[in-house]
Amino acid sequence: MQRRKFLSLGALAAVAAAVPATLGAEDFRKSKPDVWTAKTVDDAIAKMYGKTATKSDAITLVAPEVASNGGQIPVDIKTDIAAKTVALFQDANPESAVIVYTIYPGSVVDYSIKMKMKKSGTITVVVEGQDGKLYSTSKALNVALGGCEG
Amino acid sequence: MKIKAKLKGDVVDVKAMAKHEMMTYDVAEKKTGSRDNANFITHISATVGGKIVFEASTSQFLSKNPIFKFAFKGAKAGDEMTMTWVDLKGNTVTDKETIK
Repeated sequence: MQRRKFLSLGALAAVAAAVPATLGAEDFRKSKPDVWTAKTVDDAIAKMYGKTATKSDAITLVAPEVASNGGQIPVDIKTDIAAKTVALFQDANPESAVIVYTIYPGSVVDYSIKMKMKKSGTITVVVEGQDGKLYSTSKALNVALGGCEG
Repeated sequence: MKIKAKLKGDVVDVKAMAKHEMMTYDVAEKKTGSRDNANFITHISATVGGKIVFEASTSQFLSKNPIFKFAFKGAKAGDEMTMTWVDLKGNTVTDKETIK
């Protein structure tokens, strides 16, 4: 019994120790659920950040002009802006938000992801700077075969 | 999860593939008759030595078996990286990989 008590105490201590490590972690699906049901890019950005973004050349957004398979569209996002979050949106699917990255000390904003698009449309990246400003860039792409059916 | 983490200079480049259907609400409705059967990864993160090095909140619009590529500084070869994802139904998968 003594030992069991000791072990459970140890387990509690381990949990307590693990909490500060995850401090700062934010699941935006839980903290900002409205972002994920927003139907337009502008609405999603408003729900996420509460303000509008200004166009910036400091973000590199790479995606194919013509995506042959809408179920596997490679998107590369890079920037040197000191950022807090980086979010990807599009206007072809029923809802706009695709992914929101949280930036940590040591993070290098050099992301690649494969996304799905139902039809041709425009993808938009928003970078929330540590200066509190929103920077964005967009790219139109043609989708030959829609990717939400498979 | 298939994870590759490689140190180049002072930057660790990571490529991770999560095995997941990533079923959208529309596909769920079409194939199973109910939007409630939709399931996709909603949150994915990576830690090294208890510190978060990568985190993303995700939607249904990532590809099937999505590949996440990201980079970070502050780790060295031999460090262990832990990655965890959670999906809409609450399933979670955690995997570890040593940085090469």
